[in-house]
Amino acid sequence: MDLLAQILINGIFLGGLYAVMALGLALVWGVLNIVNLAHGAFIMLGAYVSWYLYTYTGIDPFLGLPITAAVMFALGYAVQRSVLNLIVRAPMFNTLLITFGLEVVLTYLAQLAFSADFRTINPAYAGDSIVLGPVVLPVARLLAFGIAIVLTVGMWLFLLHTRLGRAIRATAQNLVAARLYGVEPRHLYAMTFGIGIALAGMAGGLYGTVSQINPYIGAALTAKSFAISIIGGLDNPLGVIVGGLFLGILESLTALYIGSTFSDVASFGVLVLVLIVRPNGLLGKAA
Amino acid sequence: MKTTRIALILAALAILAAVPWFGSDVLVQFGINALLIAVLAQGWNIIGGYAGYASFGNSVFYGLGSYGVAIAMVQWQLPFGVGLMFGVALAAVFAVLLGVPVLRLRGHYFAIATLALAQVMTAIVSNVKLAGQNIGLVLPPLNNDPLFYELSLGLLVLATLTIYWLTRSRFGFGLIAIRENEEGAAVMGVNTTLYKTLAFALSGIFSALAGGIHAYWVTFIDPESAFDIGLNIKMIIMAVFGGPGTVLGPVVGALSLSAVSEFLSSEITSLAGLFFGAVVVAAVVLMPRGLADMLRRFRSMGWRYFAENIRSHRL
Repeated sequence: MDLLAQILINGIFLGGLYAVMALGLALVWGVLNIVNLAHGAFIMLGAYVSWYLYTYTGIDPFLGLPITAAVMFALGYAVQRSVLNLIVRAPMFNTLLITFGLEVVLTYLAQLAFSADFRTINPAYAGDSIVLGPVVLPVARLLAFGIAIVLTVGMWLFLLHTRLGRAIRATAQNLVAARLYGVEPRHLYAMTFGIGIALAGMAGGLYGTVSQINPYIGAALTAKSFAISIIGGLDNPLGVIVGGLFLGILESLTALYIGSTFSDVASFGVLVLVLIVRPNGLLGKAA
Repeated sequence: MKTTRIALILAALAILAAVPWFGSDVLVQFGINALLIAVLAQGWNIIGGYAGYASFGNSVFYGLGSYGVAIAMVQWQLPFGVGLMFGVALAAVFAVLLGVPVLRLRGHYFAIATLALAQVMTAIVSNVKLAGQNIGLVLPPLNNDPLFYELSLGLLVLATLTIYWLTRSRFGFGLIAIRENEEGAAVMGVNTTLYKTLAFALSGIFSALAGGIHAYWVTFIDPESAFDIGLNIKMIIMAVFGGPGTVLGPVVGALSLSAVSEFLSSEITSLAGLFFGAVVVAAVVLMPRGLADMLRRFRSMGWRYFAENIRSHRL
């Protein structure tokens, strides 16, 4: 029983991190209708930004997140304005290909710049944990989870209640109408992509505190972000929390009861099932 | 015009077929790899280029083909030919069983579901005892590179002839109709489920054959290499670079990109990867309909062709 409780806690912590990973992907997908295959590569870059900040300036990885976010936002804005904007109206397939090309470029550049060595962001309190009755809460994971939830809810409030958030939602619904109301689509798309990449970067910073990073982690993280976006649906940012928690708990339970090699089978198997049964996501509107 | 084109193709084919007699060992080995990836690109062309379903799961068929040959030869001591057929049978069964539900999905959703299937298969095969789990299987070696080369070339010719048949058969027109407007095709009496499943299976069969030949050639397979997801992406890039939905585009794309990538990786390994990514980005922006379309229209439009492509897809 204690073991099960601990596994559930681990799954929930992992799920929170997954949620914030998927948040940026879901945002870009929902608004720009681009499935960004380079999303994981941006998560990886964010992790390296945090790692450099911590290793060379000693800035705490959690306190340094706004800096990571700012750097990644600028990168995302520039990539959208200069590259992706050229193919925004191209067929779906071309957008998949170009973001895949970006993924390859970013991964190889990262390999040239950072080398293929594994890195971890290890603040002094990395090994600490809080014992709460039968379960152990690792401090770093708890912090990462808390920040992930704050970011996701913050994103939801931002989309609902700010002028920019409303413009983003309006554009997602109807580009032409939004344009008539004075939205500048190129700028708005770049802002949206920038915000998505900033979220990816922060997810990377959080990921680096709980797991090892190297230039190749991106592809698997993109695949997981997909799975979560689909399970949670694209309609509502809070959906990714459900999708993330679902996947995190599912993976932890599979690792415990069936074997850790099957945790990917479980997550992608569920993804295929959800796609077939409810293509708009478990929480999405019925097809 | 028509006869000169056929003569040109036959001449190119004859030169390709003669490579093992005058080329070095390295060239023949490069040739086998390039021809097999061209088969994959051609196979993908059927489902992705003609039917318009962007499959990211063709590596599953490739893996099934490799494992078909490996299991038949290692575990059951059967000859290579039987192994190939076993792999083809596995691929066809897989295409029908999973194709029927997955082919109901459209656009991104289909692409992602097939990508997920590819992930799942790697993990499943690493746990199957018959397939050697995650250690893999070692096949009996056959040191006959010219034979593998000619086999690969023959397979590529077969795949290309199949595509050619698509361009002038009821089945092929049905697939194009599905690509252009699936509801419309259904209204016109095309049995879309049947056509899509057949296209998926046909595409899978060629990938499985390529996988089988590759497995026997390299004599070793494991789940990571047999179900390599990167391979999917590679075949798609080559098909799209050459021109999806054309007869020769994917072959030209695959052979030319393989050559460039081989040249670069002999210089600096990591640059080859970087170049690959950059080519994809540039190709999607500048010639989204592939090399074939570019060559055809560049003559009349000149540099305006690129500007036109950018203008029609940017915001």
